Amino acid sequence: MLETEICGLKLDNPTVLASGILGNVGSSLRRCARQGAGALVTKSIGKHERQGHKNPTVIRVKEGYLNAVGLANQGIAEFGCEVATAKEGGVPVIGSVFGFSVREFVSVAATMEDYGVDAIELNLSCPNVGKAGAFFGTGEELTYEVVKAVKDSVSVPVIAKLTANTGDLVAIAKACERAECDGVTAINTLKAMKIDIKAGMPILGHKIGGLSGPSIKPVGVASVYEIVKETDLPVMGCGGVTTGEDAIEYLMAGASAVQIGVGVADRGISIFKKVSREIEEFMVENNYKSLKEIIGVAQG
Amino acid sequence: MQTVKIKEIIKETKNIKTFRLDLDLPALPGQYVMLWVPGYDEKPLSISYPGEDVGLTILKKGPTTTRLHEMKAGDVLGVRGPFGRALKISGKKIIAVGGGVGMAPIAPLIEKAISKGVEATVIVGAVTKRELLFVDRVEKAGAKVIITTDDGTCGLKCYTTHALEQELKAEKYDECFTCGPEVMMYMVLGIAKKHKVPTQASMERYFKCGIGICGACVMDDGGLRVCKEGPNFRDVEIEKFKDFGKYTRDASGKKIYW
Ligand SMILES: Cc1cc2nc3c(=O)[nH]c(=O)nc-3n(C[C@H](O)[C@H](O)[C@H](O)COP(=O)(O)OP(=O)(O)OC[C@H]3O[C@@H](n4cnc5c(N)ncnc54)[C@H](O)[C@@H]3O)c2cc1C
Ligand SMILES: Cc1cc2nc3c(=O)[nH]c(=O)nc-3n(C[C@H](O)[C@H](O)[C@H](O)COP(=O)(O)O)c2cc1C
Ligand code: FES
Repeated sequence: MLETEICGLKLDNPTVLASGILGNVGSSLRRCARQGAGALVTKSIGKHERQGHKNPTVIRVKEGYLNAVGLANQGIAEFGCEVATAKEGGVPVIGSVFGFSVREFVSVAATMEDYGVDAIELNLSCPNVGKAGAFFGTGEELTYEVVKAVKDSVSVPVIAKLTANTGDLVAIAKACERAECDGVTAINTLKAMKIDIKAGMPILGHKIGGLSGPSIKPVGVASVYEIVKETDLPVMGCGGVTTGEDAIEYLMAGASAVQIGVGVADRGISIFKKVSREIEEFMVENNYKSLKEIIGVAQG
Repeated sequence: MQTVKIKEIIKETKNIKTFRLDLDLPALPGQYVMLWVPGYDEKPLSISYPGEDVGLTILKKGPTTTRLHEMKAGDVLGVRGPFGRALKISGKKIIAVGGGVGMAPIAPLIEKAISKGVEATVIVGAVTKRELLFVDRVEKAGAKVIITTDDGTCGLKCYTTHALEQELKAEKYDECFTCGPEVMMYMVLGIAKKHKVPTQASMERYFKCGIGICGACVMDDGGLRVCKEGPNFRDVEIEKFKDFGKYTRDASGKKIYW
């Protein structure tokens, strides 16, 4: 009943672990699969090892969660064993990659493919590192260039993860489509800051970070809705999914699957099972037989 | 995150200070907080005095703890927590092994145990006499105390593990607890297992989020998170860890072999 498909990947259910959540160690990725995730996205991996920004890197605020981890990762050379363990979870594994240049994106994606991932997600949207991530995803030309170069060098599906911190998200999505991208994920975190008024300074080590959680969901839903309306790209919705109802909103906006990030902090790793069950309950109550009947209904 | 003032600083040893904060933070023994030193960093620290004027007992190690040691009463710190699974007492007669600043969670555990009528023995170990932590505190609470120093300046001249072996041969205990360097805990678990004493150990890994989402602190192979399912684990869980006693991970996630 909950089966779905995104970029040729067959998922038993539409809940996908978002990048950067428990995603740099194979054994925790596999654990998320065993707790019901329909697919897994790894932490964004780059060419070289990075220690990331200083703590505080993740904090809870009234409006959700702020993070500025700073693309900490062990470097692609060390990541093969983690992918192998993640794959034991038995669900599709999507390798997230970032780079400081088009060449880096290409080389990391190619190695990721060699490790056996089922698809590549290009992180064109990290707000926390100057010349990586969102540096690429906020301009049409650079987006096109990265996507095209990676598409030309790997054979697994390529998904671009986009940011809503841009003037025209639809234009960026269209650039992805021109570059023959297989799909997009929308959205990454929104640029944000928390100042502690007693200390008189921003709390995050990096000062500025990205906002996740329920408060960004309406932005994510609108982004998905517009991309689906204006392009033919398959879309994974991301941002603020905590319950089955949240997931259904994204699906109705046209997403084929949803990614879950900080929801893991609020409802535990079993959030994947919980959200799946809630979607199923909604479907039974409202006489939906398959997700196909739900996906995109709100497009009218 | 709550920002609070330091109320009092107590020098415990040459390199260890206790910071009492202007904050009432009820917590169970073995739980920790993420402590923000504004402008520096944020680090996991065990709660050594739960409740009113919550206390943290900190060894001067690198840049952040050195900065902490320079701070004064009235300075502002940020606190997230309490987090983590506590040490759970179920025996009637327990033994605890604390190495160095590892006594920080052990001392409140012992106080709680004795207040519940549990009989407790503590093996307190340090490199040298001047670095012994909370000996008077656990003695005052009513525990039987065995002191070991590497250089023999106080108590037995041996490692805590040697003293544990002797004690477990001589006496029957229901339960064992340990916190300290990983090599020490590794050996404590082995000795306790030989004597069939169930053990809980307080694990240390690199922490970022403290709330179970970033993945920095994950143990192989089950994917348990030290910040969330830990930091205190039972022997049956620890036996399944592939990395315990072998490797840890740095802030990038890269494996670092001991
Ligand atoms: C659950 C837990 C409870 C702890 N309780 C205490 C305590 O009660 N008293 C105490 O003195 N120390 C405690 N520590 C260790 C303490 O966090 C480190 O000593 C401290 O972070 C060192 O920071 P630094 O900047 O002074 O030194 P650095 O030079 O930055 O680090 C020195 C060493 O400390 C460890 N460390 C550094 N940063 C982190 C981090 N973010 N997370 C985990 N480990 C880190 C690493 O092993 C590192 O090699 C605890 C650690 C954990 C995980
Ligand atoms: C701690 C943390 C780390 C993250 N790291 C990455 C990352 O490496 N790559 C990436 O594309 N997105 C990363 N993200 C963004 C999430 O994948 C997701 O897009 C965002 O959190 C919004 O979804 P949510 O509200 O469900 O958390 C991270 C988010 C958090 C909270
Ligand atoms: S410190 Fe982030 S998951 Fe444990």
